[in-house]
Amino acid sequence: MKNLIYILSVLIAVILTSCNPSPTLDDKTMLDYGQISYVNADSLSKHLLSEYLSNPTPIQLNTPVIIAAHGYTATTFEWDELRAYAKTKGTFYVSQVLLGGHGRSYPDFKKSTWEDWQSSIKEEYQKLAKIGYKKIYLAGSSTGAPLIINMVKSNFFKPDSLPKGIFLVDPIIVSSNKTLTLVGLLGPVLGYTTVELANGEKGHWYVYRPQETLKELMALIDLTRIDLEKGINLPTGTYMKVYKSIKDETADPVSAFMIYKGMRTSSGGNIDVEMESSNLHVFTRLEGRDNITADQRSLQQKVFADIESLMKK
Amino acid sequence: MRKTLLGWLVLFLFVPWVQSQTTTAPYELGVGLRLQKTEQLYWENGFTADYTSDFLLHKKIHLKMSYVTSRIGSAFMTNAVRQDNIIIGADWRFRSTKNLQIFAGLNTGFFNADMEQLSQFKDLPHSSLLLQLETGLFYKFKFPLVTSLSIGYNAVSGDGLTIPGTLFPVYYQLSVFYYINK
Repeated sequence: MKNLIYILSVLIAVILTSCNPSPTLDDKTMLDYGQISYVNADSLSKHLLSEYLSNPTPIQLNTPVIIAAHGYTATTFEWDELRAYAKTKGTFYVSQVLLGGHGRSYPDFKKSTWEDWQSSIKEEYQKLAKIGYKKIYLAGSSTGAPLIINMVKSNFFKPDSLPKGIFLVDPIIVSSNKTLTLVGLLGPVLGYTTVELANGEKGHWYVYRPQETLKELMALIDLTRIDLEKGINLPTGTYMKVYKSIKDETADPVSAFMIYKGMRTSSGGNIDVEMESSNLHVFTRLEGRDNITADQRSLQQKVFADIESLMKK
Repeated sequence: MRKTLLGWLVLFLFVPWVQSQTTTAPYELGVGLRLQKTEQLYWENGFTADYTSDFLLHKKIHLKMSYVTSRIGSAFMTNAVRQDNIIIGADWRFRSTKNLQIFAGLNTGFFNADMEQLSQFKDLPHSSLLLQLETGLFYKFKFPLVTSLSIGYNAVSGDGLTIPGTLFPVYYQLSVFYYINK
């Protein structure tokens, strides 16, 4: 018995002393290092419509605007291609929001909460509504989606400035990596996880994922799942469409089914869901990936065109 | 195939029971209710049965079957996914002659998530074989009731590709059995 107590004491001591390790940040090309910043004035004025078109003409005020929110550990880079598409077509604007805690450094990211991530979407929405933009839409990829759904659920949108529509690309309500469901138990021992980035993705995504933010992510998607189970109604006149890869190693495709079951239009109707023949997570972002196929490029353009046409209705 | 398996299972569980009515072969058959909570997902509740006999290594091995579903759990009157688990398995009991027993076991079975025949989701994986490891405590009261508390691990769980996304790895169970022949 004494031996057992001794072994248990040693094990507990080992676990406690090895708790919450941090990564070594010595590579300046990593977003985590802190040298690359998406929060400097240049970057914000380039990506936020409230900054680069703060004095619009009446015609511009009536042009559709999409506030695009990226996913966990990503940056505004995730929506660059939609922005480029919009510029080519000239029929709508894209305001690329940088989620709170993102695009800065590992220490900044580590201390951020999902409410911090969401705050920059809210701020941009309020600014654009205040400036007078009449046709505001939201787009969320991956974690951007539950952040937007939570804004609907918590009645963030005011009757005098309701969004016209919401587009969700590869929303995450259930993670494909089911080990993440154990982050509450294993997180303090792991400290952080690491992802492999393609060369073109380096500097645009965090490489290290602190367990604190993984817990925040799981708290957000768990809350959203429970809210969807209870049912969420969209504001009056707000349209919603989900685009989801049929195979996705990050956001489980069942997420789309859960959103379909849980979201309703203001009149109680179903939202639109389109399952896409893709095995990419956030299939609308191709820049930075290796070995892009013509089919993947075609799907991206098809979905951008669909979003554009839905905003004309 | 499923019907054949079920037929064999019924024979395996109940023939010894019928025999025991005419012989004195000691056996134990418990039936009861199960509450199951999956980590970060649903409550799935249902029914369970546990059988053992002297010929199963003097009651050290227990055979069991259960059915748990979110239909009488998280999906009752909500938008949660309706899903069913049909499980058979075997446990090894440590301290099998004591009131407080420890068990460890292996289960297999069938999982199905109801995609409600919606055309958009027809290509999503919705069913899977189960392979589970379980361990827990089993307490026998003086009256013919037994309760067990256990933790299980789904060795096969959703991956975003071929296995249903609502098949999560870790679950906890509370079961209460009534022993028919005690």
